[in-house]
Amino acid sequence: MRRVSAQDLGLKKRKKCPFTEAGLKQIDYKDIETLTQFITERGKILPRRITGVSHHFQQLLSQAIKRARYMALLPFVAQD
Amino acid sequence: MSRKLKTQLYEGMYILSSTLSEDARQKALDKIVHGITEKGGEIKKIFDQGRKKLAYEINGRREGHYYVMFFEAPSLIVSELWHEYHLNEDLIRFLHLTTEQVPESLEFKPIVQA
Repeated sequence: MRRVSAQDLGLKKRKKCPFTEAGLKQIDYKDIETLTQFITERGKILPRRITGVSHHFQQLLSQAIKRARYMALLPFVAQD
Repeated sequence: MSRKLKTQLYEGMYILSSTLSEDARQKALDKIVHGITEKGGEIKKIFDQGRKKLAYEINGRREGHYYVMFFEAPSLIVSELWHEYHLNEDLIRFLHLTTEQVPESLEFKPIVQA
């Protein structure tokens, strides 16, 4: 008999951290293309329950986004 | 005491006012460089990133001229530089971070395209 998997029960597959998968060590605040994938249209940082980023990288990511905001590379609040 | 101070590689990003003329901007940059070298730092590389649009308005300015500089300096001077650069009106924003290595090339784009 086959074991019942989580997907069979209608549960979502666990997301994998994109940074761990890519084998990165650091997140650069100048890498705006990557950072924009993890912010909303309004400029807010996306929670990791949505993006699947690991706790370690979420900390680095939020630090990088905040640095980019300070240097006016990313908005604090996006204008309408 | 003639103990040699421990140095560290730093990365600095500077936004200079885009309203400055070519000469005035060069002068402002020299002032920044001088601030570091005068205190015993050594400039490794300067990347001129050109004029870019700011993601939000800073003191009525919508554009800025970005520079990224890599320098090696004793760790004590960074707080001194902070005090000095804050008085500089041509310098809109700056950020000093420790880093491991100097990259060969550098390019980044702000979210708002000019």
